[in-house]
Amino acid sequence: MRYYLRKLAFYLVALWAAVTLNFFIPRMMPGDPVDILMAKLQQRGSGVDPSARRAYELLLGTDSDEPLLRQYLSYLGNLVRGDFGISVSDFPTPVSTVIATSLPWTVALVGIATVMAVLFGIVLGVFVGWRRGTWLDSLVPATTVLSAVPYFWLALILVAVLGSALGWFPLLGGYDVVLTPGWNADFLGSALYHGVLPALTIVISSVGGWLLGTRNMMVSTMAEDYVLTARAKGLRERRVMVWYAARNAVLPSVAGFAISLGFVVAGSIVTEQVFAYPGIGSKLLQAVQNNDYALMQAIFLVITVAVLAANLAVDLLYGIIDPRIRTGG
Amino acid sequence: MLSTERGVRARAAAIVAAVAVVAAGCGSSGNAAKDESPTLVAYTGQSSDYQINFNPFAPTSIGGTGTIFQTLFFYNIVRDEEPTPRLGTQFAWNADGTQLSITLREGVSWSDGEKFTADDVVFTLDMISKHKGMNSTGYAGRATAVDDTHVTIAFDQPSFVDGPSVLGKTYIVPAHKWKDIADPAVAVVKEPVGTGPYLLEEFKPQAYTLKANPAYWGGEPAVKKIRYLALSGNQAGTTALKAGQIDWQTGPVPDVKDVEKSYPGYKAVITPVNQIALVTCSSAPLGCQGPQTDPAVRQAIYHAIDRTQLNALAFEGTGRDVSPSFLLPDRDGELISAKLRQRTAPMQPDPARARQILEGAGYAKGSDGFYAKGGKPLSLTLKTVSGWTDYITAVNTIGQQLKQAGIKLTPQQLSWNEFVDAKDRGEYQLVIDSLYQGPAPDPFYVYNYFFSTAQTAKVGAKPGPNVSRFSDPQVDQALDALKRIDPADTAARQPHLETIQTRIEQAMPYIPVLTQGTINVYHDAKFTGWPTDGDRYAFPAVWAHPDNAEVFLRLKPAGR
Repeated sequence: MRYYLRKLAFYLVALWAAVTLNFFIPRMMPGDPVDILMAKLQQRGSGVDPSARRAYELLLGTDSDEPLLRQYLSYLGNLVRGDFGISVSDFPTPVSTVIATSLPWTVALVGIATVMAVLFGIVLGVFVGWRRGTWLDSLVPATTVLSAVPYFWLALILVAVLGSALGWFPLLGGYDVVLTPGWNADFLGSALYHGVLPALTIVISSVGGWLLGTRNMMVSTMAEDYVLTARAKGLRERRVMVWYAARNAVLPSVAGFAISLGFVVAGSIVTEQVFAYPGIGSKLLQAVQNNDYALMQAIFLVITVAVLAANLAVDLLYGIIDPRIRTGG
Repeated sequence: MLSTERGVRARAAAIVAAVAVVAAGCGSSGNAAKDESPTLVAYTGQSSDYQINFNPFAPTSIGGTGTIFQTLFFYNIVRDEEPTPRLGTQFAWNADGTQLSITLREGVSWSDGEKFTADDVVFTLDMISKHKGMNSTGYAGRATAVDDTHVTIAFDQPSFVDGPSVLGKTYIVPAHKWKDIADPAVAVVKEPVGTGPYLLEEFKPQAYTLKANPAYWGGEPAVKKIRYLALSGNQAGTTALKAGQIDWQTGPVPDVKDVEKSYPGYKAVITPVNQIALVTCSSAPLGCQGPQTDPAVRQAIYHAIDRTQLNALAFEGTGRDVSPSFLLPDRDGELISAKLRQRTAPMQPDPARARQILEGAGYAKGSDGFYAKGGKPLSLTLKTVSGWTDYITAVNTIGQQLKQAGIKLTPQQLSWNEFVDAKDRGEYQLVIDSLYQGPAPDPFYVYNYFFSTAQTAKVGAKPGPNVSRFSDPQVDQALDALKRIDPADTAARQPHLETIQTRIEQAMPYIPVLTQGTINVYHDAKFTGWPTDGDRYAFPAVWAHPDNAEVFLRLKPAGR
């Protein structure tokens, strides 16, 4: 019990630290939302009257001289109540609405892509490890090269080839905007179809890491005595591979998987940029570019909580899986 | 482990199969709507999902300005012409510019069927003066309805120059819908009711669609549907353009010289509107520091720039002549003063002149090839935004050109936020940026925004648009005089405009580089009637409002 309490306390402190940094770091950025808004409207060249600055300061409430500490305390209070405030760049939409409309896209796309990358990586890794020394070993450098290639470049190449040249997949967007989002076959089909190419880029660029890790674990597990014993007992190769070697070899990958799930929420800013895909990544970029503190804070908070929660889950699970951890240190 | 893995793999295979089926299905359903009038797909540069808000007074309004909500008149800023009547039909000022009388159009109704009257206009203007957060044009009048079709607005001071923002930039909203809104400045308008040629058909965060208003007072427009897309930025816009998925985009595209070849069916028009300038922190008394506070240095830079080379290298030849008077040669040609030393900035550099100016001001060339004065080298930093590729190329090119003239220029790339902050605080020597025009085709606005003392502030404090900290009593006086003269009286205005022109040519707080061409790419094979160089009936930019509504009204599906 003490183990769990200690863990929980640690995570609470980590959460507080994250929430606090979350408040102060955006405010260290140069400029304020009104400056950026004005500059953006002016850039359009459609004539912004200088009086607009005063109007927008009043509108967005950025002219308040409230001391930072007071702002911080009311920020903490609002967080507890689940009130993230109003987004300045999507004024006057509440931040929670902005996040609610964009988060599902990211979780679905990056989530499915991550799960697929992990599954492919682990399955291939087990297989390649089992057949080590054969031509299959060349999969390792091949996939790691793909992981090492800058992601945006890989994505653009795939867009150019599969989207533009061959026309197999749509170039942009999350679905055919003629359709109405909802639980109908047309929309879901369109969303799925639009998601394939972005998901493919994520899978291709991340599968290598999982493959390499699993393969190496597999190779070292196969040297264990119990694998030798299993073989000596005359078990079928397949049974030895899956039940004796792979089962132990994938353990570290499972822990890694839980943590990478936490990062799914952070989305993939680059994926969303390249494919003009709706999601939290593009909203985060928008928030940063517009000094939209409230939106930035809320998105960072969602990311932080997701990562902490995933870590906590892994910690707790490890405590159950491996009793040695509970009593140690 | 085995069974679950198998299960997941089987499911994954099912998903792939489903995708293939869907893909096949999509291909056939995509062309179903061919018989109907084509939808015009516009991309405004929106770089993330839309959040619904058609409140025309919100700085983050996503659209509907001009198309759903209309102004009283339309001011075309790219051609010197009288405003076009919209909800108003006529307006007149009294002699001293303190009273504006407007006649309104009869027989106009709101899209919910109610009649449009003078009360709506008065309500809108009163709402703006009551809610300071909505008053983005500095409106300071008192409006009264004389009868159903006549409104007068009284001002305390001569306000000729405030006319265009009231008449041409204030969108009139229905009193019967808006009077119950407690705080209209922050209200989210989801179901806009307007008088304009279009109605909102549907909204999705990734796109919204407008449909033609069959009851529009000017007759139902020929383009029946307009869809605005949200993509991830101009890069995605170019991809969509290349694939023929959008019909109208404004902004740089690759290979702009050959749009008709690289984007079959499309055409491009380049409209010079905004002057690119090296903005200098010019005023030592207001706290600026660095060699650029010396007018001689600014003049020398002006003469040392090779604009032909710059235009070719950085702007793909889309830049146009710029006048040191900051008038637009195309539009304001007649207003450019004969007293100016140069009517337009020379396209070729004049290193001899630059040298003469610098040496006349006491600079001497050192052994390193750069000028120096009193032991201080003539070395400047020029800030730009990282990611603005055309400006980055421009500053590097200018750096090379000035090196030959003995001026050391160090380009510096900043994030957008830092750049804006540096300009506002005056903590810079030179930045590259562009000036913009006001609500009417009148140079008064560019002078008032960028050259008046009222729009500047000491270094450290936030100014209006005049970030150069330029302050000149003669210019201020001329601007004051212009505010009291009816813009129609061009003869009376000219001497004051000339004073400003000659003063700013001498002082040169903004070193003119080129006039930036706004690049407008449109699907000419699908719709006809676009604004062209020969007929600039509106500023051709998809994000310019209400200009975009003027364009929509004139477009027709091709071949009909």
